[in-house]
Amino acid sequence: MAQPLLKKDDDRDDEGDYSPFLGIEKGSVLQEARVFNDPQIDARRCSQVITKLLYLLNQGDTFTKVEATEAFFAVTKLFQSKDLGLRRMVYLMIKEISPSSDEVIIVTSSLMKDMNSKTDMYRANAIRVLCRIIDGTLLTQIERYLKQAIVDKNPVVASAALVSGIHLLQTNPEIVKRWSNEVQEAVQSRAALVQFHALALLQQIRQNDRLAISKLVTSLTKGTVRSPLAQCLLIRYTSQVIRESGNNTQTGVRPFYDYLESCLRNKSEMVIFEAARAITELNGVTSRELTPAITVLQLFLSSSKPVLRFAAVRTLNKVAMTHAAAVTNCNIDMESLISDQNRSVATLAITTLLKTGNESSVDRLMKQITNFMSDIADEFKIVVVDAIRSLCLKFPLKYRSLMNFLSGILREEGGFEYKKAIVDSIVILIRDIPDAKESGLLHLCEFIEDCEFTYLSTQILHFLGIEGPKTSDPSKFIRYIYNRVHLENPTVRACAVSTLARFAASVDALKPRIFVLLKRCLFDSDDEVRDRATLYLSTLGGDGLVVETDETARDFLFGLFDVPLVNLENSLKNYAPSEESFDINSVPKEVKTHTFVEKKAPGKKQIGLGAPPSGPPSTADAYEKLLSSIPEFGNFGKLFKSSAPVELTEAETEYAVNVVKHVFDSHVVFQYNCTNTIPEQLLEDVVVIVDASEAEEFSEVFSKPLRSLPYDSPGQTFVAFEKPDGLPTVGKFSNVLRFYVKEVDRSTGEAEDDGVEDEYQLEDLEVVAADYMLKVGVSNFRNAWESMGPDCERVEEYGLGPRESLAEAVNTVINLLGMQPCEGTEAVPPNARSHVCVLSGVYIGNVRVLAKVSFGLDGPKDVAMKLAVRSEDETVSDAIHEIVAGG
Amino acid sequence: MILAVVFANAEGNILIERFHGVPAEERLHWRSFLVKLGSDNLKGVKNEELLVASHKSVYIVYTVLGDVSIYVVGKDEYDELALSEVIFVITSVVKDVCGKPPTERLFLDKYGRICLCLDEIVWKGYLENTEKDRIKRLIRLKPPTEF
Repeated sequence: MAQPLLKKDDDRDDEGDYSPFLGIEKGSVLQEARVFNDPQIDARRCSQVITKLLYLLNQGDTFTKVEATEAFFAVTKLFQSKDLGLRRMVYLMIKEISPSSDEVIIVTSSLMKDMNSKTDMYRANAIRVLCRIIDGTLLTQIERYLKQAIVDKNPVVASAALVSGIHLLQTNPEIVKRWSNEVQEAVQSRAALVQFHALALLQQIRQNDRLAISKLVTSLTKGTVRSPLAQCLLIRYTSQVIRESGNNTQTGVRPFYDYLESCLRNKSEMVIFEAARAITELNGVTSRELTPAITVLQLFLSSSKPVLRFAAVRTLNKVAMTHAAAVTNCNIDMESLISDQNRSVATLAITTLLKTGNESSVDRLMKQITNFMSDIADEFKIVVVDAIRSLCLKFPLKYRSLMNFLSGILREEGGFEYKKAIVDSIVILIRDIPDAKESGLLHLCEFIEDCEFTYLSTQILHFLGIEGPKTSDPSKFIRYIYNRVHLENPTVRACAVSTLARFAASVDALKPRIFVLLKRCLFDSDDEVRDRATLYLSTLGGDGLVVETDETARDFLFGLFDVPLVNLENSLKNYAPSEESFDINSVPKEVKTHTFVEKKAPGKKQIGLGAPPSGPPSTADAYEKLLSSIPEFGNFGKLFKSSAPVELTEAETEYAVNVVKHVFDSHVVFQYNCTNTIPEQLLEDVVVIVDASEAEEFSEVFSKPLRSLPYDSPGQTFVAFEKPDGLPTVGKFSNVLRFYVKEVDRSTGEAEDDGVEDEYQLEDLEVVAADYMLKVGVSNFRNAWESMGPDCERVEEYGLGPRESLAEAVNTVINLLGMQPCEGTEAVPPNARSHVCVLSGVYIGNVRVLAKVSFGLDGPKDVAMKLAVRSEDETVSDAIHEIVAGG
Repeated sequence: MILAVVFANAEGNILIERFHGVPAEERLHWRSFLVKLGSDNLKGVKNEELLVASHKSVYIVYTVLGDVSIYVVGKDEYDELALSEVIFVITSVVKDVCGKPPTERLFLDKYGRICLCLDEIVWKGYLENTEKDRIKRLIRLKPPTEF
């Protein structure tokens, strides 16, 4: 990148316009560097030469090994000079050359001398240079000085040591961790920057020690933090602590929330933003907590500084993904940002509006976006297209204007990714909105008339073949498809032939006409196109008459393989040509475990054109798969709910066991997850003996032992119980782990032949009413409540007796019912005397249940509760009340 | 991490580039990306007016000062706000060293000093010093005044 910096007008006499580095050449600069060796050092001249060397390096020029070594050795001579400016240059130069490990030794003594110099600034700079170039062994030698430097009175020296520590932590963590006392002291420094650097280093040293971080945050949030930068760090660490402390809604007050909120009133914009962002990113943030953060962000939307506008709109955009309603207040400010000069800001504003806008504003919004689309880059356009797709799915009635918009931008210039995003969106809209099908397909047809991307053409043709025949007038698509046979490359032509054949197979009336077209394809110049045409003509049958296509022929041509394509591909690869022809029945149908993510959840639409859905399977899917692999559970029917694991052993015991309760209509399966934590033992034939004497309505039907449980590799054993069909039967079970234990020789890893039978007492386990309730939330509780109607409503009042706090009472009731709190109503404001919590869930038998629970303090500690339950079945509403009455 | 600090002239030639934690093979891509970003957006922009962009998970804050355009690239904790702090320090230091928003010639005349200042501001990808007066003293190996 070392370009000569020529000016536009070279003929001008004005010397002042020429670059001082005009015509600079590496070779001659290295020659000049010989002045470093002069016995009488000319500091000014040397500085100039170093500047030239820096210029070369800063432009991306590189020195060969020999050149670098020479330059380095020459530079080291300059330590003799006492000139301050030159010394500073020398420090920089050594860092820039970064000498190899065998050369470092040349300067270490000079640097160590500087590190102990009386001149503070020598010390600071020497530390920085040394830490840049030394390795672990040398570091131990100078560790003592570095520790002193951290608590040096001069803030520059302290900062240099601390920042060096941050870097050294990557390479020599065990050494830097020993400095934590000094760093802790530096955190209390009165110099703002020292505090900032010390805080950063201390957090990194202790990042794996949750308690220490929590203590650090607690003390600093109460004390004074001097610089805005340090304050930002502290906010980040605070939100980390909040995240790790989990959802402690016991008291209803989130720890440290007050601190974050107070930072919203800080003088520094940076701190305000950091706090606002931290609040918006809190787990399960409630609208009450969000409001102050959104308010400050809204103010920044109209800031004169682009950076602040960008930061605000970026944060609000993220919030809109989860709490769209909270952001709607900002819509007016956001709309004015659509015309923002900064395209990043405008794109973020638009995508946020698309998420938060209501149905009536769609048309207006689309008009604004159309003007804007022409002057942004493809990557921004893709973001907009994705947002429009989600908007259309949200407001299906608006499909016409949104579809028109998509087809409009499809005709304009754009790269592959952009076009693919548009096509994918149209395809999804066609699949999800039946009314949009015909117009959508025609838009796609028009697009392939002039599409430069083979991949997209073939995908659209394939999609047309599936959806086109189902429309009211399939014949109108034929022209577009047949045009492809004339005008395209062989890949598209072959695909068009297949699409034509699909129409012929599905629409009998079109068959004779399509046969004429297919016959013309027999003369195509490409083998594949001809082969396909021949195949279709001979198998579709009817010889071009209006007859129904034979079912078997249709299946043969267009039916789905009932074997996974991966397996088919492997089998074909392994097939050796022989007398015996390839048998598709020999292909294994079992899908290997790593591909089972491709199994779609029912009702979930596939995204885009044949794009495989991705993402890890949910825990529920994983449990379902695990249980279905055990034949004895095959007739239990559909799994209703799996509980979260319940620990049956204390932490750090010999055997760690937890249990997951799987609830079916008339069965309950306990899945005991066991881990053997003793390296010297191998457990075999592990079972859990369950005593159900306190659960009379349950009867054990099956127990599946675990054959072998080696050290530190978890395994499962199952016990299944039958229970009254569809009823929320409860009971208490006591458990004993029984197994054969064998000694393992740790040197060889082999177990002895003889084992000893042993037992291990586990905690009791309860099946409770909440196990029959699925936590399923609703986005708008009021709507759901109104539409459920009061027909099956049951209202009752209860006295809960003395409670620790209102929040504790709310939490207990939520846990007792096992329902999903909606709209953040699980959080009780501090000092509240009453509170309403709304809950939603699905009860066993797939019955939707909604509950409104009003709590009030009656006297100093007594809590009274009014519970109103609505469901689709009055017996279920009664059952919910029984749970509360019984609990 | 501050991934890059890049200075370019009006024609898009690089004057100073300092990368931190960016592999050598990716630097060319960044250079051309930044220069294009500047030529697309910096026309008519006032001195020191900050522009911002994000590219994947990386943030870019850039501005123009005299004949020189300045780009700062960061990720993670160095988001657009932190970077605007960094670029503010850089612009004020450059103005200070040059005495005014520099022409290219003036910038190159003060090249060595500017390099030293940058060395004080960004230390291997982390922000180290933020006050121009302090930096001015530090590059002359003078302790800060408050000490």
